[in-house]
Amino acid sequence: MNTFLLLLQDALVAAVPAVGFAMIFNVPAGALKYCAMAGALGHALRLGLHQFGGMPLEWATLLAAGVVSMVGIQWAQTWRAHPKVFTVAAVIPMIPGVHAFTALLAVVEIDRTGYTPELFAKMMENGLRAFFIVAALAVGLALPGLLIYRRRPVV
Amino acid sequence: MISEEEQRQITRVCAQATILLLQHGAESALAETVCRRLGLALGLEVVEVVLVANGITLTTICRGRGCTTVRRNSDRGINMHVVTEVQRALLRVEAGQFDLDGFSGRLAEIQPLRYNRLLVAVMVGLSCAAFARLGQLAHGQALEWGTLGWAFAGSGVAMLLRQTLAHRGFNPLVNFALAAFVATSIAAQGVLHGWVGNPRLAMAASVLLLVPGYPLINAVSDMVKGYVNTGLSRAGTALLLLLASCGGIVLAMTVWNTWTWL
Repeated sequence: MNTFLLLLQDALVAAVPAVGFAMIFNVPAGALKYCAMAGALGHALRLGLHQFGGMPLEWATLLAAGVVSMVGIQWAQTWRAHPKVFTVAAVIPMIPGVHAFTALLAVVEIDRTGYTPELFAKMMENGLRAFFIVAALAVGLALPGLLIYRRRPVV
Repeated sequence: MISEEEQRQITRVCAQATILLLQHGAESALAETVCRRLGLALGLEVVEVVLVANGITLTTICRGRGCTTVRRNSDRGINMHVVTEVQRALLRVEAGQFDLDGFSGRLAEIQPLRYNRLLVAVMVGLSCAAFARLGQLAHGQALEWGTLGWAFAGSGVAMLLRQTLAHRGFNPLVNFALAAFVATSIAAQGVLHGWVGNPRLAMAASVLLLVPGYPLINAVSDMVKGYVNTGLSRAGTALLLLLASCGGIVLAMTVWNTWTWL
């Protein structure tokens, strides 16, 4: 598949969970389109930086979340609401859910069938990756506040 | 000139706004800022608020008079509509469009938005199918509908169950464990009958609706912004929810004997 088509498909597919989870979080209907656009942008940007830019997944996540947050702040100021109202739903497609569950299941499996170095490695690798990606997402979303809006509120 | 009675009323409405934000999933930094901005905009001199994991303590000072109040916080589920409305009411106070009565009247009017349950379940099903597709894209796999379809079915039904149990007042941990059991059981049927091209992806995608993404992100951002105690409490809650879901998954994999995940 050519690179552009891959990124485009990734963006369109990622917009679906951004909207789906925005509805779980009861984001007002008027803001759902922002969730979709920011979700698409963030996930495709991360895939591009990681697969084609050769950046480690965690750093790509940090950058993508930072960009989503910057865009979110612009919309937040015109829409008059806190940016987290839509930026958190927008980064939901990047949440490392599979890694988190795999790590916990490896813990259960160690208890059930006994210790093996492979299971232990699985637990550590997935758990650490989940931890660092979640940290990158949260810090990425906080970046504009930490660097630019230091002493004044965004909205 | 603010009388003692007015100061008490302003303090009460500040506490109410802060609690509304915390109950509906706003991060600590936002809740504290809104509380302080509101008190100052309504004419108080000092507003100090301390957030703990399940409550707030608020002290206001006006012309040397102090007024302190404590409120308990109980989780009402994430609702960004309420957060938006409280923030907009604050902006109107700051713009001079609302006085104390206007603001408290507006707070009382807020009816938390709830989307139609069936619509949410379908959207969540589509979301989890989309997660499966994102997994295929990331690993360069071709489009395979069986995996997507079973992820959709498992997560959609689990979401309906999750909403029903939450509505009936079940503990979230019980709720998440049961939902994970149902989602994994449904996806396991597709795996057992060989209708799924990538069993691991289908089973994983069908439980992704149970990842507590919002509490996890709030936990880290609270801690980054200096609210370590609320951050740790959120992280603890999120980890417990993940463990409860994990219990449901393990139970389902034991019942159906489909250990395809690891």
